[in-house]
Amino acid sequence: MNAFRLSGFDYDRALNTVGAWALALVWFAPLIYAFWTAFHPGEYSTRFELTAPLTLENFVAAWNAAPFARYFLNTVLLVTSILIGQFVLCTLAAFAFARFEFRGRDAVFVLVLLQLLVMPDILIVENYRTMRFLGLLDTILAIGLPYMASAFGIFLLRQTFKTIPKELDDAARVEGAGFMTILLKVYVPLAKPTYLAYGLVSVSHHWNNFLWPLIVTNSVETRPVTVGLSVFSSTDQGIDWAIITAATLMTSGPLLIAFLLFQRQFVQSFMRAGIK
Amino acid sequence: MHFTKKLGIGAVAAAMSLSMAGAAQAVDLQFYFPVAVGGKAADTIEALTKEYAAAHPDVKIDAVYAGSYQNTITKALTAVKGGQAPQLSVILAVDMFTLIEEDAIVPFDDLIKTDADKEWLKAFYPAFMENSQTGGKTYGIPFQRSTPVMYWNKDAFKKAGLDPNTPPATWEELVEFGKKLTVKDASGKVTQWGVRIPSSGFPYWLFQGLSTQNDVILANSDGNKTNFADPKVIEALQYLVDLSAKHEVMAPGIIEWGATPKAFFEGESAIMWTTTGNLTNVRANAPFEFGVAMLPANKRRGAPTGGGNFYIFKDSTDEQKAASLDFIKWISAPTQAAKWSIATGYVAPRPDAWETPEMKAYVADFPPALVARDQLQYAVAELSTYQNQRITTIFNDGLEAAITGKMSPEEAMNDAQQKADKILKDYR
Repeated sequence: MNAFRLSGFDYDRALNTVGAWALALVWFAPLIYAFWTAFHPGEYSTRFELTAPLTLENFVAAWNAAPFARYFLNTVLLVTSILIGQFVLCTLAAFAFARFEFRGRDAVFVLVLLQLLVMPDILIVENYRTMRFLGLLDTILAIGLPYMASAFGIFLLRQTFKTIPKELDDAARVEGAGFMTILLKVYVPLAKPTYLAYGLVSVSHHWNNFLWPLIVTNSVETRPVTVGLSVFSSTDQGIDWAIITAATLMTSGPLLIAFLLFQRQFVQSFMRAGIK
Repeated sequence: MHFTKKLGIGAVAAAMSLSMAGAAQAVDLQFYFPVAVGGKAADTIEALTKEYAAAHPDVKIDAVYAGSYQNTITKALTAVKGGQAPQLSVILAVDMFTLIEEDAIVPFDDLIKTDADKEWLKAFYPAFMENSQTGGKTYGIPFQRSTPVMYWNKDAFKKAGLDPNTPPATWEELVEFGKKLTVKDASGKVTQWGVRIPSSGFPYWLFQGLSTQNDVILANSDGNKTNFADPKVIEALQYLVDLSAKHEVMAPGIIEWGATPKAFFEGESAIMWTTTGNLTNVRANAPFEFGVAMLPANKRRGAPTGGGNFYIFKDSTDEQKAASLDFIKWISAPTQAAKWSIATGYVAPRPDAWETPEMKAYVADFPPALVARDQLQYAVAELSTYQNQRITTIFNDGLEAAITGKMSPEEAMNDAQQKADKILKDYR
């Protein structure tokens, strides 16, 4: 709308707008295809006809192909327990790294950062051994435990805590607040955007995680939705796009809806937390 | 410290009480299975294990769905290394050498005692056993096995002026029919291709059909030598490349495997090569009359086998191994094999399964189901070697390079052979 100015054409702005729209369309195209295919009968999955009949049958078929109700419950339990674990552990660790002086602090922090460089897939066997030792195989806790002490979370929160003015900290101390009170009353509230952004990244990552949950669990009672989704990737039989897109929309639906609802907060918190 | 110690002791105590309970009462078996043919197959396997458990109250089988074939071997090997191996699992037949190298499985020869058991090993089609035996020992029992076949659209044949009941029987006929079946619109764009031989993901499998028909074997049965640079292999690859490059009867470039049945249903291609595991799917969804035939012949007929075998894992008690063997014997018996074959489209792996009343009724109603079985007499072992993942990846890359025209078939195959030799020389 504002691309035209009295003084002439604003190329910069126009290019930005066109670029943004083009990228958005590229990102959005698979989703549009998924919507089209999921709501139409199988014959229309590779053809576009405006008058094609709408149907919900694909969703019914997908829902019935695996115990999805239970899987959804498991996934929700999983991502919440991971998120709580991460918030507690990362907050405490980040606070220590940001505000306490102790022997070997930097060395320990480097060790934590090293964890970022290790691909989680390499650790599968070692993690499996640990879970077996703890007697946790085939539990939801076993899926989440290896991710709770997140190096990324510690790093991110430490950086955020470091930007909080020391004066606020001192003021609280003068008022007689202990460390925990300072952490909970000063640092945590000021780091809210970081928590929100990190929480979103964490939830969407663990919502979509597949291989580790598949390996460490065996029963319907513990497995997340991604394992349910995998029954549709039947390579020997060819792929039924209608059902697979319906199942994909169904399993990613809660995340999509949550994102649309909280879109503004998410985008803002990403800007403030500096994750891009 | 104190806490972890307690936890550790608790875990050990729990593990001990579990294993003692197991010894005192029933034998516990954990059984991993992959699913590669759609959701219903998982239900069939679970129903079969329940049926077995009902007849054998002293055995408890926990059937665990383990994802795709790739996921299943990852899960199984992780569990083996983590000290919690399953007792038995269905895993790709071609992963036999990998499992042997990881020291994860035991040969069936160590478990069978009676003459009747020895006879049982001979009950399966020899083509399937080729992928189950090495060094004179049997490591796998065929279960969900397949082989590629050719499907053709009878309506498209009629429209092209061909006899709808005669599929191409030779390489020349495939080209000749393909030319008649390739339809272009006014602007010269192809609306229907003659042939579709998918090449995405694992092109080696269908290509092995062509190489076998050209009378050459891709790897020896010891799994330590490949023949990729054999002139006959190069000739077969040249034929595959020519189908699109020279004869223009097949779409150029890499052709998607997963989308192949759909393209066949939509009339984008008049002939497709794909697994017999697709039979039930094609039967349910093809909106026209279709036929199923063996792959065409060149110097001889030929096709690879494919699919999964039963394996028994090493890290179990003798009781568990004996119980696993008994379960495998039961589920691979004619009646169960027939049930499984009818439910999925996989080829029942033994001749007597085809003599059961259920199977007879099924093939009388649907004769195309017999094609895969009849092709077995010409079938060979699927490409399988030590370091199987790496060798097939090298070979697939070579095939893709030739199909996309980045290299000539000769260059691509010589290159693949060199790379494979480098890896396999340690195993000779």
